[in-house]
Amino acid sequence: MTRLLGVLALVGLVGGVVMAFGVAPREVTQGNVQRIMYLHVPSVWVAYLAFVVVFVASIVYLARRADAADRIAHASAEVGVVFTAVTIASGSIWGKPTWGTWWTWDARLTSVAILFVMYLGYLLLRGMIEDRERAARYSAVLGIVAALDLPLIHFSVYWWRTLHQPPSIMKPGAATMPPVILAALLVNFVAFTLLYAYFVLARVELLRREQEAMA
Amino acid sequence: MPDNWGFVLAAYGLAAVVLGGYWRRLVRRHRDLEAAEGRSRTRK
Repeated sequence: MTRLLGVLALVGLVGGVVMAFGVAPREVTQGNVQRIMYLHVPSVWVAYLAFVVVFVASIVYLARRADAADRIAHASAEVGVVFTAVTIASGSIWGKPTWGTWWTWDARLTSVAILFVMYLGYLLLRGMIEDRERAARYSAVLGIVAALDLPLIHFSVYWWRTLHQPPSIMKPGAATMPPVILAALLVNFVAFTLLYAYFVLARVELLRREQEAMA
Repeated sequence: MPDNWGFVLAAYGLAAVVLGGYWRRLVRRHRDLEAAEGRSRTRK
């Protein structure tokens, strides 16, 4: 199952690159630099998804003390941090030619940076506590608290005046982009989601076997 | 607006390095674990 997901993710990623560079047209105002969107937006979607999974799995762990839920939260947080790093790096590279700066402390960018630091802290906390049950309990609490940043990130572009544009697709109502661009974006959404699922399943399996080996 | 292909390639290249690096790390840990399990089976 995990291997199949890996193959599907790889096929999806190849399809996503073909859509981004071969099918989607050159955008009129931004030029080819807009093609970074097919990487940046799906990676932030996966980061959101990963931390929502951490939130839910953390609640399940605290309610039932299920080791499987803790492993899912741990794996999802790790993968979420990887995708958040891709989001920040690709956004910064996109920002330089379009805004004229690599970084600005506006509400959207700052709240994403806080998210990144919080989940890095989550992983550090797990690594610092030797007792596995205590590490799982403390990190579950942090996983729930840190998720409060997610709505803040999403609505930051409405609540404050930001350099970052408001959402074009993750919003109520129809998407405000041409169908071909939307199709290219959706292919990349699917590919990145498959990659996330593969990473999490593989990491959960590794965690389970590592814990068994140590027991 | 200039095409800025350098920025596009940098973004995709960096993402490939980060995601590919994480993928490789998972595969390597999987192999190490298999090897360790193999060694402990032989010892038994």
